[in-house]
Amino acid sequence: MRSNRLGCLTGTGLMAALVTALAIAGYAYARGGLMYNPGPLNSQSGEILGGVTSHAETGGECEACHTAPWESATMADRCTVCHTDIAEQMRAAATLHGTLMHDSPDLGCRHCHPEHRGAQASLTVMDDAAFPHEVVGFSLNGHQLTAAREPFTCTDCHHGDVTTFDLDSCDACHRQTDQVFMIAHTLSFGSACLDCHDGVDRLGKDFDHNNFSFKLTGEHVELACVQCHVNARGFGDFAVSSQGCDSCHRDEDPHAGRFGQACGECHTADGWSPAKFDHNLAAFKLEGEHAEAACESCHVNRQFKGTPMDCYSCHREDDEHNGEYGTDCAACHNPSDWEDADFDHNRSNFPLTGAHAGVACESCHSSGQFAGLSTDCASCHRDPAFHAGMFGLDCAGCHTTDNWFARYNGPHPGIADEGGRGVNHGGASCRDCHTQTLQSATCLACHDSNNPDDDGDGGEDGDDGDDD
Amino acid sequence: MLRGNKELWFAFLAMILITGLYGLVVFLTRAAPPASELFGHGIGILGFLLMLMTETLYSLRKRSRSVRWGRMSTWLQFHIFTGIVGPYMVLLHTSWKFNGLAGVSTLFTIIIVVSGFIGRYIFTRVPRTLDGLEIEGTLSQEALKQARNLMALWHTVHIPIGIVVFITAFVHIGAALYYATLLK
Repeated sequence: MRSNRLGCLTGTGLMAALVTALAIAGYAYARGGLMYNPGPLNSQSGEILGGVTSHAETGGECEACHTAPWESATMADRCTVCHTDIAEQMRAAATLHGTLMHDSPDLGCRHCHPEHRGAQASLTVMDDAAFPHEVVGFSLNGHQLTAAREPFTCTDCHHGDVTTFDLDSCDACHRQTDQVFMIAHTLSFGSACLDCHDGVDRLGKDFDHNNFSFKLTGEHVELACVQCHVNARGFGDFAVSSQGCDSCHRDEDPHAGRFGQACGECHTADGWSPAKFDHNLAAFKLEGEHAEAACESCHVNRQFKGTPMDCYSCHREDDEHNGEYGTDCAACHNPSDWEDADFDHNRSNFPLTGAHAGVACESCHSSGQFAGLSTDCASCHRDPAFHAGMFGLDCAGCHTTDNWFARYNGPHPGIADEGGRGVNHGGASCRDCHTQTLQSATCLACHDSNNPDDDGDGGEDGDDGDDD
Repeated sequence: MLRGNKELWFAFLAMILITGLYGLVVFLTRAAPPASELFGHGIGILGFLLMLMTETLYSLRKRSRSVRWGRMSTWLQFHIFTGIVGPYMVLLHTSWKFNGLAGVSTLFTIIIVVSGFIGRYIFTRVPRTLDGLEIEGTLSQEALKQARNLMALWHTVHIPIGIVVFITAFVHIGAALYYATLLK
């Protein structure tokens, strides 16, 4: 009964072994590797890659995806034969698959994309990889704990496949934490959360507007975002908002645009009032007395822009010259003091030369009249009796403004012209002979007789013409 | 020999312990442990090793003339223990999927366990010493002959089933190594 023969080596045992081996070999011949299939392949149709629209269409052709352990090729190599777009991504660092490959070089496709899990099962399961969620445009930094203070799972946001995302997921959770805010926020900025939010929470509780070029100070601090960022529907809409005051305050400008749009030159964010207007930024600088003047004294009816800058438009009433000097007050006056006038008579048609320069204004302008006075000498100077009316009123014919000195070199009948120069009568002056007027003469100052023929003494020392 | 059923109680206890562990994993992962992951794979390997021991140790001891460690009855008890616990662990390894060659292997595993139980009760109809030798004279010649014939018939059926189980199991293990474990 008992033998050393192995128990399995019976006739029926060997027959069973043969039948089993043949059955396995036959099935393998007919159906490929299907008998090893641990579960159905995905049958959801996509684009045509490698001649099939789904993995299930490869049938029992295991080698389409599987490599033998002794081959150098990996399964990932087989994947990328068909999925060439992913192969390109894996070489580009900025893409999702490029980042995954960079962070985890040993990661294979199958670690995130398992198969044989059913015809309709998701082909993406992130259990095995620390998924760099920020690469797909949304960081999970701000999503560490749910509203219930529990760690997030993929399905908290991805209710179906992890490759799809429903924006309602944001709203549904965030309304639990602050419904009032969410209603106002979506009304203001729309419900396309991802257009602004990238998960880094830069717009969340840590948001600081002062990190941007437009700092919020004064009254601006209390404003709601939407008061400036009207109709913003994407982060780009915020960035391009004009920083000019007029972009928000145009409709409330009491100056009706007369001061331009640079409100900040006078106003600060602390309030419209008090305003600090620096008139010297305007074309008309305020100097001297002008600096003390009330705005309204020049800007009548609060008309600020276009106010004429000529003196006369304001100072017409102040003109003591009765308009005789024209309207260019600044030619003589400065803004500090009317009295401190700097009048240059030489700019008039009657320059003050010689003895005129030292004369008091009133000597000529005795009646308060400054303009239009005659420039004739006679208007001030009488013809002296000495002239006896012989020369008319053209004083300047003989005199200059330096002094009244004049000399006469014309013909002079009745006296000996010693030297032939007219009146060179022994160096005598006019008044030596014409002691009263030029109409009368006497020789007696030098001579003993008025008789020309009487060659008396005393005439030899007169050597010149006349004076005075 | 084999008068009590101590080995059945031990097997039952081991199955309860394994079931408890399995339930804990199901509770923690909220899914049946997949055959390819640590727990599922582990019980598959251990279960198969127990089945291998079931198949080989008792048979080797029975045929060994030089080395006679332990009593045959103890080896038979161990054979029965591993023959129950091993297949049970293999059953849990399936993650309740019975398709393909692995499914065939599971089916024949179940069959051979049932067959083993039948064999055990045929075997115990003949009184034996603790070393497995038949005790003469307790049964009538007629009854003894009938029991021996029944035992021979049982062997004729049981052994081919075992052959099928192990061939399909080895092919399954080879395929698993090729297509899963050694994946690159």
